[in-house]
Amino acid sequence: MTDSIQSLLSVKNLKTWFEIGGSGLFGGNSRALKAIDGVSFEIAHGEVLGLVGESGCGKSTVGRTLTLLEKSSGGEARFEGQDILKMSNAEFRPLRRSIQMIFQDPFASLNPRLSIEQTLSEPLRIHEVATGRQEIINVIADMLTKVGLDPSVMARYPHEFSGGQRQRIGIARVMILAPKLIIADEAVSALDVSIQAQVLNLIKDLQQDSGVSMLFISHDLGVVRHISDRVAVMYLGRIAEIGRKEDIFTNPAHPYTKLLLSSIPSTKPGRKKVRDLGEPASAASPPSGCAFHPRCPLASDICRSTRPEAVSVGSDHLTACHHTDKAVDIAA
Amino acid sequence: MNIAQQIYRIFAGRILASIGFAVLIIVVLAAVFAPLLAPFDPLDIDPISRLQEPSLEHLFGTDQFGRDTYSRAIYGARMAVIIGAGSVAFALLTGGLIGMLSAYFSRLGSFLMRGVDVMMAFPALLLALVLMTLLERSVVNTIIVIGIVYAATTARILFGMTLKLKGGVFIDAAICSGAGHASILFRHILPNLLSPLLVQATFIFAFAQLQAAALDFLGLGLPPEVPSWGNMLAESRIYITRASWLLIFPGMLIIFSVFSMNLVGDALRDTMDPRFKDDIAGV
Repeated sequence: MTDSIQSLLSVKNLKTWFEIGGSGLFGGNSRALKAIDGVSFEIAHGEVLGLVGESGCGKSTVGRTLTLLEKSSGGEARFEGQDILKMSNAEFRPLRRSIQMIFQDPFASLNPRLSIEQTLSEPLRIHEVATGRQEIINVIADMLTKVGLDPSVMARYPHEFSGGQRQRIGIARVMILAPKLIIADEAVSALDVSIQAQVLNLIKDLQQDSGVSMLFISHDLGVVRHISDRVAVMYLGRIAEIGRKEDIFTNPAHPYTKLLLSSIPSTKPGRKKVRDLGEPASAASPPSGCAFHPRCPLASDICRSTRPEAVSVGSDHLTACHHTDKAVDIAA
Repeated sequence: MNIAQQIYRIFAGRILASIGFAVLIIVVLAAVFAPLLAPFDPLDIDPISRLQEPSLEHLFGTDQFGRDTYSRAIYGARMAVIIGAGSVAFALLTGGLIGMLSAYFSRLGSFLMRGVDVMMAFPALLLALVLMTLLERSVVNTIIVIGIVYAATTARILFGMTLKLKGGVFIDAAICSGAGHASILFRHILPNLLSPLLVQATFIFAFAQLQAAALDFLGLGLPPEVPSWGNMLAESRIYITRASWLLIFPGMLIIFSVFSMNLVGDALRDTMDPRFKDDIAGV
């Protein structure tokens, strides 16, 4: 694991629970939906951590909790030593400049009533990065060029742009503040495949040029493999496996990771068929013990009764599984 | 797009709405230039020529005090526009603010919106009657009372729309940029509510005129000496068999102006309402 002194962000036992089943006067009894239930990871300076998992596993909630868009229910997240989860919105506001978020849907993430200049000048004015109209315009023009758009688009409105162009504007809004940590929540998932690669390479280039750390959330293993240094695999609100990209992709230790990797469609002939294990369980009523046991080919009694804790299976490689010693080919 | 093009886009191909728009312009012009258009002082009493039939000298005839009905009708347009515009401004400002703030600050909303629900439980005219009996008859009080009645409806509508916008991704993005509450409410949410507000304004304008006429007729609206269409109806109703023109002209004017405003409102809603068109933004 990365030395905590070096790490930019250190998340320990993060929990985000949502109340479901009504509240208030006639609500009846409510239950907690444990969207995130004890997630720990660290991100070093200049590192890209990929966070993968099926939809509904809580990976987006991790990003939204770390930007205080959702309220956390427990745990801590230390950014440069300060626990951001304990902060009020007002206290966190200056830090927003350092922690920025790229959103999934480029059509919904830009205010349709604001011109590109208005959208991009807002963060500059709030954080007093640039003052005076001319300086602000210069900074915006510079940033637009960096994300591959012509500075003349400044006067235009979001509806005049394609999805890929809009996402470039979204990236410009984030990069213009020169943040220390970017949370990219499915940043390319809503784009056409042909555009995906361009935008992904843009994000990668900007990341490498600026040395910003990144939490890259995606369900797409290929995309994560392309951009990440380390990868965390999430399943039902918990991290199943975390480690260096090479270890995760070539030597996965958790059966869920193996299953995910075997589900990447391949054009190679003679490849084994993917084992279909059905839908994941609901986070509203998670299975006992290891949440993955109903779908796991290795499941035994201990999996049904006891929740596995993360154990080390190599240098900087942790997995939460009772059966890490069993080498079983999942793609049976 | 400039205003002329927008107006063309709204009314092109809509004959009834175009007629309505024309009638409205006439009413507004009459209101603005009333002193120039009216041949007589609307308050001038002339007992000798009382209850005269419409003629070239008195286009709409004269009333029981010999006042020129045509001049009074033109000054009535002025009152109709003042009451309509005033009620719209009052209703949109108070109702809009209540609706937006209630949706944005949900704790505040749970109190404020219950109050709005209570207001909406009363029929509009009944509520206006109750409020008017507590107040003196005057132009400002009539505007306030009608404004309060329609503020409740406006609050309801804006509450729902703000609630929907508030959950939008671009609001999350603004929060991540560090935007504060005021900036989110008035820079990010409000501009997206302008189209529904405009549509709402046209309907309130129409209903306010109808309400004002009803209040005047019941003797609870404007002071009796003020020449408004509702007051003209109220004063002359006992002469309906002898001098029917005293009721026909102001009555028709109320009907035409309210109907016109509704037609314009319909056309506006069809072109601008986000439920039917989601790409109006940025125009």
